[in-house]
Amino acid sequence: MSIEIKSPTFPESVADGTIANWVKQEGESVKQDEVIAEIETDKVVLEVVAPFDGVISKVLKPAGEVVLSAELIAEFEKGEQLDTQETPAPEKIPNSSEQQKSDKTNLHDSQLKENGPVKENGPAVKKLLKEHDLNADAIDGSGKDGRITKADVVNYLEEPSSKNQEIAPNSNIQSSSATSTPALASIDRPEERVPMSRLRSTIANRLLTVKQETAMLTTFNEVDLKPIKDLRLKYGEDFFAEHGVKLGFMGFFVLAAVQALKKFPVVNASIDGSDIVYHGYQDVGVAVSTERGLVVPVIRDADNLRLADVEKSILDFSDKARNGKLSIAEMQGGTFTISNGGVFGSLLSTPILNAPQTAILGMHTIQDRPVAIDGEIVIRPMMYLALSYDHRLLDGKEAVSFLIAIKDQLESPEKLLLNL
Amino acid sequence: MYDVIVIGSGPAGYVAAIRASQLGLKTACIEESNNADGGSQLGGTCLNVGCIPSKSLLDSSHRYADAINHFSDHGIEVAKPKLNISKMMERKNKIVSQLTLGISGLFKANNVTQIHGHAKIIDSNHVEVTSVDGSEVHETKNIVIASGSSPINIPVAEINHKNIVDSTGALEFKSVPKKLGIIGAGVIGLELGSVWSRLGSQVTVLEAMDDFLPMADKRIAKDVLKEFNKQGLNVNLSCKVTSAVSSDKDITVTYENNGSVSELKVDKLIVAVGRKPNTDNLLDINCGLSLDEKGFIPVNDFCETNVQNIWAIGDVVRGPMLAHKASEEGIMVVERIAGKHAELAYDLVPSVIYTHPEVAWVGKNEEDLAESGIEFKTGSFPFAASGRALASGESTGFIKVIADKKTDTILGVHAFGPSAADIVQQGVVAMEFGASAEDLGLTIFSHPTVSEALHEAAMAVNGQAIHIGNRKK
Repeated sequence: MSIEIKSPTFPESVADGTIANWVKQEGESVKQDEVIAEIETDKVVLEVVAPFDGVISKVLKPAGEVVLSAELIAEFEKGEQLDTQETPAPEKIPNSSEQQKSDKTNLHDSQLKENGPVKENGPAVKKLLKEHDLNADAIDGSGKDGRITKADVVNYLEEPSSKNQEIAPNSNIQSSSATSTPALASIDRPEERVPMSRLRSTIANRLLTVKQETAMLTTFNEVDLKPIKDLRLKYGEDFFAEHGVKLGFMGFFVLAAVQALKKFPVVNASIDGSDIVYHGYQDVGVAVSTERGLVVPVIRDADNLRLADVEKSILDFSDKARNGKLSIAEMQGGTFTISNGGVFGSLLSTPILNAPQTAILGMHTIQDRPVAIDGEIVIRPMMYLALSYDHRLLDGKEAVSFLIAIKDQLESPEKLLLNL
Repeated sequence: MYDVIVIGSGPAGYVAAIRASQLGLKTACIEESNNADGGSQLGGTCLNVGCIPSKSLLDSSHRYADAINHFSDHGIEVAKPKLNISKMMERKNKIVSQLTLGISGLFKANNVTQIHGHAKIIDSNHVEVTSVDGSEVHETKNIVIASGSSPINIPVAEINHKNIVDSTGALEFKSVPKKLGIIGAGVIGLELGSVWSRLGSQVTVLEAMDDFLPMADKRIAKDVLKEFNKQGLNVNLSCKVTSAVSSDKDITVTYENNGSVSELKVDKLIVAVGRKPNTDNLLDINCGLSLDEKGFIPVNDFCETNVQNIWAIGDVVRGPMLAHKASEEGIMVVERIAGKHAELAYDLVPSVIYTHPEVAWVGKNEEDLAESGIEFKTGSFPFAASGRALASGESTGFIKVIADKKTDTILGVHAFGPSAADIVQQGVVAMEFGASAEDLGLTIFSHPTVSEALHEAAMAVNGQAIHIGNRKK
């Protein structure tokens, strides 16, 4: 008797999804709980698993098709794993050793690359990963069956973003929206036309909507990070020993933002139709750059968290984001967003709002610059800050004061302790 | 109606046919060579007149030469060994028939239908087979052409099958020629030259090109040339043969060397100047397939021809004429016919010359890399520093590993020395997995083996060889 395989029940905010690929093909036998298909939604990739041991008898929605929540996508025959009677593979001689052999060959299928058996990395890769304290999952393997080669690790270590992968800038997306290329394409000027991934097209639509439907503008300031650098220098090791996570900059920024949001509740509010909704909690999103695009996991109730907790959640989110394991729930909501173009070396940029939020903070690269303090020219590690905000809700005075509040706390981190 | 008809039963064809049948495809294999019983002589060039018989004679002749030249080094005194050439040939023929009969057995075990006769492709679904019994048209969904290659005949030295022979004839001499001439210092010329030189022939090799083994590593080619001349192969480069006149007594070979004309008198002459694809009467004029200017069937990386459902593999298509390359193409093609994913790492096809010592390599050499502007580093290790090689009295040659300067990825392994082919094979496996020189360095090698030289050469890439001084960086 055939069993229906349906797409998962999507969360309310997800309208539909696309079948990214069939990990298992029609006629292939699968074990219970093995991933048989991947569905890409505008937020995450959802996995469809086999309900029992058996065979996919019919694929109803081929890769690339749009599916709705809990829609029928395939038919499934429950049965013995290697029962060739139920394997309608074309022109196959029923012979069980044969079947095993061809299954083995199938593992070379490029589609299976990411879902194949556990892959052992070579000795030089293992050594490098240990020496540099790297997570193998973060590196794309170019070797056989997706294995990581020493070349992959060496190249990964050279990428500037691999050192500090915490936050990615919202503003980067802006610059990548290219204008259409003139029709001069010839053999010498090749062009490639590929459909946008769902994530990309969602990002594109949202950013455009925000630009069109809000009165967005940006205010700038700069912050002297010497006090925080000193703190990290003095307590960095103890902090790591105590909490098992590095004392980064991001945690300070999140806490400073939370304090400032409490002081200026309207920055934490959002517009809903003709109403203003004030949120009695501070959920701070941190933008993370991944291969598929930018995602923004949200640190919930950030006002209840200690610095170490914030650092831990950021690390956790970055790992998950890079492995495509972020859940939809982890990315929903948020009352304020922090984006860090500094990891890519951006000196100054104007981030785009993460609707329906009212403001977004842009961090940038830290540069030693001469500044005048108490009439003396001194060299300080400076960072430009940008706050883009929706002028419909925020007046200039509030926006500027909000940004100065953040700056003040970062320059005198003891204020964070005293809730000043 | 067959799913697949394979034309040719050499290492490309028989492997393709067996795998096709394993994949559940109804398969037939057509072979035109006759055996003594009027059936097909399976196995193609490799088993009948190539790899296998030549290796049989190479091994026999090596033992003979070893007994004469090296037994006494080991303290073994023997009277001068007596050569029984007909017994040596008998042994060779027995091995050949054992292996070719083996293919027949494999065909039966795998349900491959054998068809005897000459195949001609009518269109993408029809193959006409002509034999003494007449002709018959077979219907099929796919055609795999694996018709192989034959020695090239040159007009200045026409093969007469008596004293001027090709590589096939050179495996059948009834006695050891006193003076033997060989045209061509390629793989085949060197291997056959080695056989007869060890058995007592005075060998002269004439090569038209200025470079010796141009596809090999430069330093290896230089060392190999020196060693072969020491062994008595007498390789002469830049010598273009202009005529070969056969008389009852001997053959007079005339050749040109940098403008000066010389003469060479030999008892037998082997012409080994290369091989050409077999396509005579293979294609019907309307079948849609055409040949390139050198007579090969044009194919892409997946061995697809310009006609859908017709594929071509092995010596009849581009690439090195090597049995292992041909077999892998056979497997790739039938797996693709069966709807599976398969591809070949063409840049990782190893090359071997089965002389003694062996010469083998895989991947890129230094000249290739310099030309494409890739920065690299190298590590070498001489067998003279290998304990096992010294113990065996096989200390000629060295191994070179070439790796990417930045990423350490192995780009080439080149070897000249004992078991070079098997040592390079270890490099092929490593390279297939994208290994770095460090990966090989971090792998345990048994001691004492000649393979340790590969371990040391890989470590030498990063200045970490233990048993030899490392080059200063």
